[in-house]
Amino acid sequence: MTTTDAGRSRLRFHRRTLPNGLRVVVAPDSLAPVVAINLWYDVGSRHEVPGKTGFAHLFEHFMFQGSRNVAKAEHMAIVQAAGGVNNATTFFDRTNYFETLPSHQLEVGLWLEADRMATLLDALSQENLDNQREVVKNEKRQSYDNRPYGTFYENLMAAVFPQGHPYHHTPIGSMEDLDAASPADVIDFFRAWYAPNNCVLTIAGDVDVEPAFAAVERWFGPIPANPALRRLPYAPVEPIIGGEVRKVIEDAVPMTRVHVGWRTPPFGTPAFDALEVGMQILAGGEGSRLHRRLVREERLGQDVTAFVLPLVAGASILAGWVTVRPGEDPDAAERIYLEECERLTREPVTEDELLRARALIESSELAARSRMEEVADRLSMYETYFGRAELIDEMLDRLLAVDAEAILAAARAVFRPDNRAIVTYVPAEPAEAA
Amino acid sequence: MPGTAGDPLAYLATRPSPSAPRPYDFPDFRRERLPNGLTLISAHLPGRPLLAAQLLVRGDAGGGATSEPAELAGTTVLAARAMTEGTAQRDALALIEASERLGAGIAADAGWESLTVSLEVPRSRFLAALALFAEVALTPAFPADEVERLRDERLNDLLQARAEPRRRVERIYPETIYADGAPYGRPLAGSETTVPRIDRDVVVARHAALMRPDAATMVIAGDLSGIDVAREVERVFAGWTAPAGVGPAGGRPSPARPGGRRIVVADRPGSRQSELRIGHVALARRTPDFHAASILNATLGGLFSSRLNDLLREQRGYTYGVHSGFDMRRHPGPFTVRCAVRTDITVPAIVDILGELERIRASEVTDAELSLARDYLAGVFPLRFETAAAVAGAIAGLVIHELPDDELDRYRPAIAAVTAADVLAAARAHVRPAEASIVLVGDAASVEEPLRAAGLGEVTVLSALPEAEAAG
Repeated sequence: MTTTDAGRSRLRFHRRTLPNGLRVVVAPDSLAPVVAINLWYDVGSRHEVPGKTGFAHLFEHFMFQGSRNVAKAEHMAIVQAAGGVNNATTFFDRTNYFETLPSHQLEVGLWLEADRMATLLDALSQENLDNQREVVKNEKRQSYDNRPYGTFYENLMAAVFPQGHPYHHTPIGSMEDLDAASPADVIDFFRAWYAPNNCVLTIAGDVDVEPAFAAVERWFGPIPANPALRRLPYAPVEPIIGGEVRKVIEDAVPMTRVHVGWRTPPFGTPAFDALEVGMQILAGGEGSRLHRRLVREERLGQDVTAFVLPLVAGASILAGWVTVRPGEDPDAAERIYLEECERLTREPVTEDELLRARALIESSELAARSRMEEVADRLSMYETYFGRAELIDEMLDRLLAVDAEAILAAARAVFRPDNRAIVTYVPAEPAEAA
Repeated sequence: MPGTAGDPLAYLATRPSPSAPRPYDFPDFRRERLPNGLTLISAHLPGRPLLAAQLLVRGDAGGGATSEPAELAGTTVLAARAMTEGTAQRDALALIEASERLGAGIAADAGWESLTVSLEVPRSRFLAALALFAEVALTPAFPADEVERLRDERLNDLLQARAEPRRRVERIYPETIYADGAPYGRPLAGSETTVPRIDRDVVVARHAALMRPDAATMVIAGDLSGIDVAREVERVFAGWTAPAGVGPAGGRPSPARPGGRRIVVADRPGSRQSELRIGHVALARRTPDFHAASILNATLGGLFSSRLNDLLREQRGYTYGVHSGFDMRRHPGPFTVRCAVRTDITVPAIVDILGELERIRASEVTDAELSLARDYLAGVFPLRFETAAAVAGAIAGLVIHELPDDELDRYRPAIAAVTAADVLAAARAHVRPAEASIVLVGDAASVEEPLRAAGLGEVTVLSALPEAEAAG
């Protein structure tokens, strides 16, 4: 085991593939009597077809509605009775399902996951569909539509990726498409994408390696592979947007917020690594350039951010925003924001900035490493996207090796006026008093 | 097992049993008193290289927002947050940069019951970070310019809070259930009226009054092997001595607003959902039936399969989720049901919620509900303490609430001992739907008439105009 200055150890893990194609990663760690089970299915909103946006996420909800041996609403109850917590999320490129349990409950968790992977459709009913459709529509209202700036994500993705590209729409989808969902759609989606050979299963925590593999074989081994599984190719996409896209939205917001998006190379490329470190320097903390200049010095911004999304299908997005203080000039705030982005293309970042960025990245990695849920999720991610769970260590090495030259080169390719979308939310005129 | 009955998946019908649980105890911690009166608590957690520390001033020594004057509400939070804006030795940016070079997170904040300075840093850089941490705690410079910036940011934050339905309802709800002047009825970080009154002098005075070693506790958790914690802490806090005389008075209790139920609709024209809060003043953390109340809440609205969530989400499809909770503080805090529901079913949702609050008081929970809640709360206990920061936070909670050192060791046995009769008694004492207020942010044009027609109580509508509530 090697150790870095911050005390990070190399992660120990084992990997096997079952005959039905299920890829299994086991990472033993006995610091706490806790085990995390984590499944990544290689399907997300980018696999949806026109007119059926939001289906990957709606489908995720069905995975909690019971299966052949688990009654409706019983899934969560079994996990909670086992003393565990669980959830699932749907992203552009994947859907993940995960539970953290006291380690002696490992098999209960595996059984629940196996039962829904193998027999979900036995529990499908129109009633469940109607109920979960309403739940998801409430989720959309609560988390997006009924919040100030809540629709920025939809607007920014639509501006950075062209009509017809799978990243043009976000995982929550549209109300109209959700209304049109039928049981047949759910059946088709399950048959197309939910199979052991389209899944990575990770177990991290207080387990012994061989018994853990044996338990996975016991519960998942007999589930048949999908022999007709398709690998959806990445849709072709230009490396840059090819122009500046601008949109102004009047909304019930108290302050103007300028959102900016750029198209970038995908997650997993050296250029993306460089952008990730670059974003730490640009907006990663109180000492970052944007925070320093817009919030502290010029005091035009209430808050400021910039980050890259880890998308893999041929391209990704760098996004951010500045919320403009009342009474300050939104144009000035936008100009300074863009100036600071473009400064990254002209002059190299300083050694001190790199040193600080590396120290912060390393500490956040240590924090992630101390939680089994996070360890399992990262192993699943690297194995699903790149077939390389080893990246859990290698990625940090790569980020720590990013230098000023790499950031300069990556920034030059991205921060171009013909590669940005600017979506500005401005306060609507107040309605007349009732 | 595979192959039986010709169905290769028949084996899934047999549910596995758990194996024998591995023992778990909350980590041991050591308590000592340093010569200057500072209490030091350390928890050695082998294999946890990211260390966490908290320096906190106890509530009984005035260390929270409950002890600040009403007309200066928000002072304690602002004083805490301004501590990281520069010290006697370096300005704000130099301080931030020094901390970032160590990969350290140093933050200060205040709650109702305590003021806390916290640190997270890899153990290899602990000593350097500890010195910086002490600098922040003891010699903050409070530059007037930075205090003013934080004050402006808070005022802007209040504007944002008004536009966000969830934050707006969380502002109005405590005002509705607590008596005028009660600390818990105010916004913790101050209001439009009080924040402009807070300047550097106010902040400096608050910090000076609170930061005394005899009222403070330092909690450190993580892999402390090879670190002489007591010596290092003593060294960095060597010059810190308690001033003569007694410290500031402790926090004031917050009486409930007399007169029972209120129904308040804060208008948000065109709102697609009603953001709803239902509840009343309930319990302090040191209540003797803490464990029964925990089971009660898990069954009612804490778990995913709780009565409230099962009815409103899984059966009715009214909401993305509904939760209930006791916010237990040093003095009685709120019991609250929280959810956002579709505008057109606002009244049926309220009726359903009130019905469940009545039902939990009417008869004992079932055996299945009781064992689910017990198994869940006992089972997730070790999951809550994976990180050093979580362990330090739990110990800090004991200090803030003046709970015994073995409180966390007793947790699982105490949960296991709760009976259905205990839960019923707790429900009858602490869930009181007849006096529960109903507060929502939503489209008044759609919900006001149905609410009045439902006869749940007198309805007050707050206008959508920004000034209306601030005047209250």
